[in-house]
Amino acid sequence: MMSTSTEGMQAEEKIRARKKTIKEIKKNVWFPVFDNNPIALQILGICSALAVTSNLKTSVVMSIAVIVVLCASNTLVSVIRNQVPSAIRIIVQMAIISSLVIVTDQVLKAFVYDISKQLSVFVGLIITNCIIMGRAEGYAMHNSPLKSLFDGLGNGIGYSIVLLVVGFFRELFGSGSLFGVQVLSLATEGGWYVPNGMMLLSPSAFFLIGFFIWFVRVWKPEQNEDN
Amino acid sequence: MANDRPSQTILVAFMLCIFCSLSVSLFAVMLRSAQDRNKLLDKQKNIIAVSGLSEKGDLANEEIEQLFESIKTFAIDLDTGEKIDDFNIETYNQKKVSKTPDLSIPLNDAEDIAAIGRRENISLVYEVYDANEELDAVVIPIRGYGLWSTLYGFLSLENDGTTVRGITFYDHAETPGLGGEVDNLKWKASWKGKQVFSTDDEIVITVVKGRASQANEVDGLAGATITTRGVDNMLQFWLGDKGYKKYIDKHLRNEQKT
Amino acid sequence: MDKVRKYLDTKIEPHFAKGGRYENLAPIYDLFDTIAYSPSRVTQGLCHLRDALDQKRMMIIVVMTLALPMAIGIYNIGYQAALAASVASLDIAGWRIAVMEFLGLNVYGSSFWSNVVYGSLYFMPVLLVTLATGGFWEVLIAVLRKHEVSEGFLVTAFLIPLTMPPTVPLWQVVVATSFGVVVGKEIFGGVGYNFLNPALTARAYLFFAYPAEMSGDAVWVAIDGYTQATPLAVAAVSGAAGLVADYTWMDAFLGFIPGSMGEVSTLACLAGAAILIGTRIGSWHVMSFIVLGMIVAAWFLNFLAPYSENPMFEISPMWHFVLGGYAFGLVYMATDPVSSAMTIKGKYIYGALIGVLVVFIRVINPAFPEGMMLAILFMNVFAPIIDHYVIQANVKLRLQRYGKRQA
Repeated sequence: MMSTSTEGMQAEEKIRARKKTIKEIKKNVWFPVFDNNPIALQILGICSALAVTSNLKTSVVMSIAVIVVLCASNTLVSVIRNQVPSAIRIIVQMAIISSLVIVTDQVLKAFVYDISKQLSVFVGLIITNCIIMGRAEGYAMHNSPLKSLFDGLGNGIGYSIVLLVVGFFRELFGSGSLFGVQVLSLATEGGWYVPNGMMLLSPSAFFLIGFFIWFVRVWKPEQNEDN
Repeated sequence: MANDRPSQTILVAFMLCIFCSLSVSLFAVMLRSAQDRNKLLDKQKNIIAVSGLSEKGDLANEEIEQLFESIKTFAIDLDTGEKIDDFNIETYNQKKVSKTPDLSIPLNDAEDIAAIGRRENISLVYEVYDANEELDAVVIPIRGYGLWSTLYGFLSLENDGTTVRGITFYDHAETPGLGGEVDNLKWKASWKGKQVFSTDDEIVITVVKGRASQANEVDGLAGATITTRGVDNMLQFWLGDKGYKKYIDKHLRNEQKT
Repeated sequence: MDKVRKYLDTKIEPHFAKGGRYENLAPIYDLFDTIAYSPSRVTQGLCHLRDALDQKRMMIIVVMTLALPMAIGIYNIGYQAALAASVASLDIAGWRIAVMEFLGLNVYGSSFWSNVVYGSLYFMPVLLVTLATGGFWEVLIAVLRKHEVSEGFLVTAFLIPLTMPPTVPLWQVVVATSFGVVVGKEIFGGVGYNFLNPALTARAYLFFAYPAEMSGDAVWVAIDGYTQATPLAVAAVSGAAGLVADYTWMDAFLGFIPGSMGEVSTLACLAGAAILIGTRIGSWHVMSFIVLGMIVAAWFLNFLAPYSENPMFEISPMWHFVLGGYAFGLVYMATDPVSSAMTIKGKYIYGALIGVLVVFIRVINPAFPEGMMLAILFMNVFAPIIDHYVIQANVKLRLQRYGKRQA
């Protein structure tokens, strides 16, 4: 009797633990999308959000690249977190991240050359994207690989959402097209739409990210900072 | 902390280095051929576009390779205009060579109207042949400084050596909407049929402000005075004596005259 | 009149007061009420300051001084068009010509009235569109935020058309005004909280968004298809010699050169400056140091001119003063009390740096022959930092002095 009840308790505990993990994973994925968005709330990774968002194609490819690197780096860092001496942990993270970035860059060059040409140095500069180092150091170093993977995924999606929104408006208003397909007929080609040249310049992304932050904070007032 | 022993530190660092370098080099080697092919295809695509072989904007890789079979690449000595035989075209990196002191010449202020600093001694040109193996057109690489950046492009001339077939720029960072309009298809199309040389062999093609009226004039880009001037200077340079003039005279215009 | 007032107070106002049916529309009611009557509210606190110069009066004076450059600007639009038409014998068509013919005026003629009417037909639509667009945003935001409609926009609404080229498309005026008012001002909390000059923000937005309609040669003379470079663009290409060949200094000073609608006349701007300084609305600290900074920078570059191939180097301060938007920006834009520096020392620094920057942008930057807009906006951004350091320096100084006396 005794042994079965302990077994039962153990099983129950296991289930509870699993439920807790699943809940945490869910939170890891969804929380960074709007509630703790890396760009809109933490204001990280702005540089690439300005540089690669002049059209949707590059935004999408950049988003995928960052999600892949972020998931992989979080997982790898988490796997070896118990073996890494704390004295060299930053260097270890850097080495892992930069290797992943180089590999990603090589893959893009081999399979989507056109877009990789437009992204130019900004794939390489994923290394300097604060989101990735931040998640590796801030989360993956203290959590299990599975949870870290989903944390990477969530933050990657949060980053991507902003990139896609900015890319959507910049391409639509700047070139009158979406994914390279002309949706507004341009005045220079006999249509009615005069493209907004500022949308093709990087600073316009500042305005769009600003508007994005504005809307998110109207929707979720708890993100407002105290004055 | 057991992890902080020096032996552990060295071990982790060593393993990590091995792992990272192996994976990076593995991918680099595996993907090298695909990357090189892409680079080549990208260049060929621009050359096909400027030589008017295809009107289509989006060509499949196979189509590019097939169309490019009618194009022959030659290395020419810019000082003499002669073709160089036995030249390894495939490994020639013209952009790099143009900055290498031994393989290029410095230009003085008077010569350097395109503001490029140095000019390579050997340039690649692309000759387009028709079905009867007759020379149909040539494509020459050009570059020069605009407002913010060096514009890299190709100019295509008909086999008479003076009529423009097309022009394109594949790399620049001019202002979108102003100088960036060098990418405008309509503007590029307006170059077709323009005359480069006058009857007394002067370079007469010019990009004018406002409306072009003569056969040697091309419409300037509205509001982009400096980019327009840059394009104009670029043509003056590359069609001149320091550029492809000798090559054009020897291989295109001579054939016409004789 | 009292009856009307009484009727308003008893029958109408309660609907807009707290708890009333149209509570949300209170700012709109307030807007019309305070236009018709003086406000009935008085200060509730102990402090009470009386000054003949309230915000409304200040704005009205600024708008009145704007009438000078506006009048010359309007005349000049017609004058330049007639000049161009007589030189190039162009066929002009469009609704404006129909109106001119209806009034029996000749576009090609150089009579005073035909120039004024032709100019007005270009200027007034832009002004009306600016007022309508800006008014729409002001009222909408006042309703949303539940505060009074501010008069601050009035000045902005007159400034925006004056900075535009005569041929600017009206829809672009709508877009630019919206951007200037919403992003340049309201996002930060409305009048008094903005760190950029809203009128310049609007112009800068158009400059970068639709450069083809805001720069180049085709937009300055109010005739379709006619191109003429502004004096600054001429100077950028052919230097002082080219400038003198095409224009006289006196024409540029009086305002008979192609340019934005209100910026052309330096004389009118100087008259405006005299009134603004006399009424102590405009800061002479800022204005004088912009002039000083410009003169020093221009002389410095003149000195370097023999060593440079850039023809702009040899343009003298005299010419810088009368060309482009320099005088207009100097008098009406840089002195904006909200976006300029607040401390006296800060104003010197702010002004001097605008003067230096405008010359450097005009001369050294290859893309923008005009630099006033960018120089002012740039220094707008720095004004709070300048003030901060001026105040900190003062605090430090006083602490030191106090410390000495103690010892």
